This record gives sequence, C-alpha cells and structure tokens, in this order.
Amino acid sequence: MLAVDLNAYIPVGILVLMAIIFVIVNLAATHVLGPKRHGAEKDIAYESGMNPIGTARKRFNVRFYILAMTFLVFDVEIIFLYPWAVTFTKLAPQSDEATLFLGRIMFFIATSILAYIYAWRKGVFRWD
Amino acid sequence: MNWAADSCAFFAAVQPLGQLALSHYLITSAALFAIGLIGFLSRRNMIIMFLCTELMFQAAAIAMIAFSRFHLDVSGQVFVIFILTVAAAEAALALGLVVLLYRRRETLNADVWSELRETPTP
Amino acid sequence: MADRLPMVDKLWFILPEVALFLGVVVIFIMGLSHSKRVRDMLPMITCLSLAVAFGLTWWVYEGSRGQTLLSVNPNLMLMPMVGKYVKMSACAIGIILAMVSVGSVDRRLEAAVAAGHLPFDPIRANRGEFYAFFLLSLMGVMLTCNANDLIWLFLALELTSLPTYIMVAISRPPRVAQEAAVKYFFLGAMATAIFLYGFALLYGSTGTMILTEMQRAFAAQAKADVVNSFGIIGMILAMLGICFKIAAAPMHFYAADVYEGAAAPVTAFLAFVPKTAGMVAIILLLTTLGWSGHPSTGLPEPIMTTLWMIAVLTMTLGNLGALLQRSVKRILAYSSIAHSGYMLIGVIAGPANNGINAVLFYLLVYGIMNTAAFAVLAALERRGQEIETMEDLAGLRIKHPGMAVVMAIASGSLLGVPPLLGFFAKLYLFIAGIQAGQIVLVVIAGLNTAISAWYYLGLVTLPIMAKPSAQSETIVRSPFPWPRIAGIVTAVAVVVLPLFLGPLIRASQAATTPASLTTGVTISK
Repeated sequence: MLAVDLNAYIPVGILVLMAIIFVIVNLAATHVLGPKRHGAEKDIAYESGMNPIGTARKRFNVRFYILAMTFLVFDVEIIFLYPWAVTFTKLAPQSDEATLFLGRIMFFIATSILAYIYAWRKGVFRWD
Repeated sequence: MNWAADSCAFFAAVQPLGQLALSHYLITSAALFAIGLIGFLSRRNMIIMFLCTELMFQAAAIAMIAFSRFHLDVSGQVFVIFILTVAAAEAALALGLVVLLYRRRETLNADVWSELRETPTP
Repeated sequence: MADRLPMVDKLWFILPEVALFLGVVVIFIMGLSHSKRVRDMLPMITCLSLAVAFGLTWWVYEGSRGQTLLSVNPNLMLMPMVGKYVKMSACAIGIILAMVSVGSVDRRLEAAVAAGHLPFDPIRANRGEFYAFFLLSLMGVMLTCNANDLIWLFLALELTSLPTYIMVAISRPPRVAQEAAVKYFFLGAMATAIFLYGFALLYGSTGTMILTEMQRAFAAQAKADVVNSFGIIGMILAMLGICFKIAAAPMHFYAADVYEGAAAPVTAFLAFVPKTAGMVAIILLLTTLGWSGHPSTGLPEPIMTTLWMIAVLTMTLGNLGALLQRSVKRILAYSSIAHSGYMLIGVIAGPANNGINAVLFYLLVYGIMNTAAFAVLAALERRGQEIETMEDLAGLRIKHPGMAVVMAIASGSLLGVPPLLGFFAKLYLFIAGIQAGQIVLVVIAGLNTAISAWYYLGLVTLPIMAKPSAQSETIVRSPFPWPRIAGIVTAVAVVVLPLFLGPLIRASQAATTPASLTTGVTISK
C-alpha cells in the first residue's frame, strides 16, 4: 500500500483555500459595498483605461508606458528576492549572519523605494 | 565566494550534464545567437532589431545555465539573473528611445534616421 | 563564514563608488527642485562628489587597512593597484568633464523658465538626470577596475554604457542627438550580447566566474598543452564585444555618427569614459590568460593575431577616415578610433615590456588632451548652436585668442608634437612595442601618425594662422565661463605635466607592479 503523508499537503490546501476565499470575499465585497451606476459609458467592457470601441491600432497615452517602466523596477527586484529567500531559510535563526543577510536585502529594497520616491517626485503618477 | 558552499549543497543530489547533452544545449544557444545576429543585421524595424538583441542575450543565458550544470557550479545561474536584470534595463531604455523616434517620424524603420552620415568631401 | 570574507574585504575598496552613489541620489533629487538656484548647483555637487571620491580612493588604497587587506589576500583582485590609478584619473578627468558640461543640458528649457514663459515641470527637466547618469557612468569605470568576477565585470561595463545612451539622447534638443542615441544604443546592445556570449564560453572553458581562479585554470590548461578552444573563442568574442566600448576596428563604425550627434561635452565624455572601462576590461580578461604560452609576449597565438589585426585596422581606418572629414567633431571621432589602435600596441606588448603601464598612462593623457579639444567646441557657439566645421575655426585667434591656443595645443598633443604630453605617452607606447619585438606594428603606427599629421596640423594652423572666414566671424563665446576654464586648465596640464613625467610614469608602473600578471609568465617556464 502506498503510504501518503497527507499532512504534507496541508500548507498547499491552506493556500488553495485562501486563494478561493480571497476571490469570493473580493467579489462579494464589491457587490455589497460598491456604488452601482449604469450608463452607456459605464456598461461597456473594462479595458484598463482605454476606449474599447474603435480601432485597436491607435496610439496609447505615453503615461501607460512610463507607469510600465516603474512596474519593471519592482518586477526585476522580485527575481533577486527569490534566491535570497532560498538561502535565508538555511541560516540559523537570529544568528549574526542572518541579521547581515536581512540587512542586505533591506538595503536592496530601500534602493527600490528610493527609485519609487524619485518617480513620484518626478510626476510619473500624475494623470492629467 | 559565498555561493560556493551553497552550490555544493544545491547540487548534492544532481548529476552533472554529460558531454552529449551539453553539446545539444550549446548548439541550441549558438543557433539562437546566430538567428539574433542575422536578424539584427538584416531587419530594419527597430522593435524587431531590439528583439534580436534580446535573443542574443538569452542565447548567452542558455549557454551559461548549461555550463553551470556541466561544471556543477551555481555561479552561472546567478549570472543569468543579472543578465535578465540588464536585459530589462535595456528594454526600458529601448522602448523609451523607440517612443521618442515614433513621435518624431511616425515610423519604426531604422533607415529613415540618416541625418548623421558620411558627407562627400568637397 | 570564512569564504564570505573576500566579498566583504572587497567592499572596502569600493568606498569611493559608495560616495559617488550618495552623490547620485542627492543629484537626482536636487534636479527635481523648483528652485533655479538649487538646480544650478548640480555641476558643483557633481565635482564635489568626484573630489571626495578622489580623496577616498587615495585613502582606501594607501591607508593601513587597504594595505593589510591586499597583503593578506593576494587573490582579492586580479590587478589590485590598477584601481587606484584608474579611479584617481577617472575622478580628476571627471571633474574637468563636469566643468565642460556646465549649461549644456536643458538650456532652452531653463531659459524659458527663467523668462517666465513656462512653469517649471519636473517631468520636462533633464539636468538632474544628466549629472546623475554622468556620475553613474564614471562609477561603472571605477567598478570595472575592482572586478574579480565575470558577473561584476559585466555589470560594471553595463553601468558604464547604459547611462551614456541616455546622456547622448538628452544632451541637446536637436533631432540628431536622438538619432545618435538610437544608433549608439542598438549597436551597444548588440556588442553587449557578443561579449556576454564570450563570457559564457569563458565560463564554460574554465568552470569558474572568478578571474583569479580562471587565471589558474588557464595556466593549468596551457601547462598540459590542452588549451580549451571554448576559452580561445570566448576570449575573442569578448574582445570583439568590448571593442565597441573602445571604438576599435570591427565595432568602430558608430563612433563618427554618435560623436557628431551628441553635444560636445558628452562627446568628450564618450571618448574617455567607455574607452577607459573597455581597456581595463580587456586588460583584465587577457590577464586571466596570463600572457603565458607565447614566447615573446605571452598570449596564445590566435588571440595575438586577432589583437594585432584589430590594432592595425583600428589605427589605419581611424586615420584614413579622419582625412575625409570637414566636421571637427567627426575628425576628433576618427582620431579617437585611431588612438584606440595605438593603445592596443601596449596591450599586445604585455606587462613584461611595460605595455600595460603605457596603456594606462596613455588613457590618462588621452583623456586630458581630448577634453581640451572638446572644451573649445563647448566654449564657442553661433546663435546658441555648436560650431561644427573646420571653417568655423579659421582665424579664431582674432576674437578668441585663448581658445585658439587651447585648440592648437590639444591638436598638437593628439598628434604627438615633442614637448607636449601626447608625445611622451606615444613614445612610451612605441618603446613598449619595440621591446616586445613588434617592429612591424610600431612602423605601421608611425606611418599612421604621419597620416594623422595632415588633419591635426590643420587643426593647429587653422585657428592660429588662417584668415578669419565669413563663417568664423559670427562665432561668440558661450555665456558659461566653465568650459573655457576647463579648456585652459587642460591645455596648461598638457604643457606642464611633461615636467612631472617621472612621477606620472612611476604611478602607472605602480598600478601594475604587485601584479598577479607576472604569475602567468612564471608558470609557463
């Protein structure tokens, strides 16, 4: 008989459960809390800020592009967090080395936050 | 380097890549690199030219990973992470320049941009 | 724990870069300020952080801690003392370059804001970014010297190049600057991919990313007479890719267009900064091969042949190309290509014949004299536009005697007229080449110098002796005094520094002495 330790799957189960609950709660909350207004403009499909009617081959507002560049900063940052996380679990908890590792990644994240502040002051998030 | 120790732990259960398998990966990467280079030199659309340089980057990345497995040394994989970062930075830069270019000329053809060139001597 | 120490030790040697990074952050934020006074302080902050980095470099390398770290762990870096020399010269020339660039970026925008035509909008302002990228690129050069790792080397080279693409694009408003930036960027990306692939093959050949270990692996291969062809091909690809940074032969064709399109201060920057980074990278990579295995110079035969061909093609194409130009910037662009070719003689000669010190010395000298020439272009203008053709320079002595003399001294030095600094640098290179037995190469370089006399002498005589033309009558001084001051300072340096030739050459020799360079040679015996 194949002995399967079902306990090993508990974290996976919790993750799946949390994902389902997250979706249900969000949908329900918007349904209950969100204001409902209808209109010709409001009822058309949502296209992330673009007008969905007409040709798709028109120019995008350049602000989409600037925002996408800001996203890229954090997108790439994630790549570096992954190997860090894999190494970090192997270190003895509360040892000097672990503190050093934590400090390093905190510095790394701080540089990204600096980039974010710069983008904000530069006016990347103004939409007018 | 710090990752030397981790590298041993990581590869403890892993077999090195054989010569034959390595050559398959290297042929793939060389082909990718050649496609990228030829594309870069022959195409005139800026976006496609940029994609070709990305192809060349990824060719190098594939070679790095294959060698990393061949030598059982994790630093090749670390390099790939940095390659991805630099590729992302270059992508941001390339798209910025392409937007600039399109606003000026309404085309992505590289040949239109030829104000700077050798002038015939008097 | 123990195996982490080298990395922490190396952090000590990048303290100057850390100081520059802090300067970058301050400049990025100050550039967004609404106060014109704060924005006008940016070049000063740039110079200040470079001066701090200059002092820190000396302290880090000469202080007791730096000396101890180097003596305890000789494998810390491949050529530890190169850092001191190159970083200090990069900072010094960086200060001059920052002076040349005062007022060039955002000139129209700042004028419109000052006149009240336009409210200041941070998203339209580029000056902060310009100086921040200026420092980041210099930081890249400085980091290249400390590279002991292909990853570090790759990142440092990219840190040198990526900011320069943006600097070209924002250096001045005309379309040509953007065209230059697009060309420069696309060819640069291709070159990067090529040397990256070379790095992958080098890694495959030796199984390590660390340059000191790579040197040992190559030495073992050479000893057992089984030099891996991956290593050779990888080295050639890496060199070809880096040739883009130094504007050498197969990758030189962008130089004239890009140099012409960018504003004069940025062109001066392009001619010195990526070239230094590329040269240091080539020297580091070739040092891993250990200059072992070849009787006279030490490099393996295929590498030697490639270098030789690159050097000859580079200087010949550079000088012949310059003969056909009318635009001063294009002439200086081709001269920049030719000078890369001369420098490669030193690389071919190798450390045993003082070749590497000659290259390092030449880089510093080239930085000084080239900046002097471009400072003249930055200091003069016609209706807010840069001057371009040779005719504009004719008879400069009448209205701008100072700039005429600076241009003459700079061109004379670039040609290598005896009492000037450029002559000694070239002589030092040629002596290294002759010692290495590369007589043919040195003869070709001498012929090239003779060819180059044609256009350099034009640049010397036109401003000083020719009659002013209708075109040159309309030229006025730019409203900013700093480019002029930078030009005069560098011209004086070109004349005066030969008096201090001994200390300068000793400094360049010190940069390569405790070299693991020599270990490669001993292994081959």
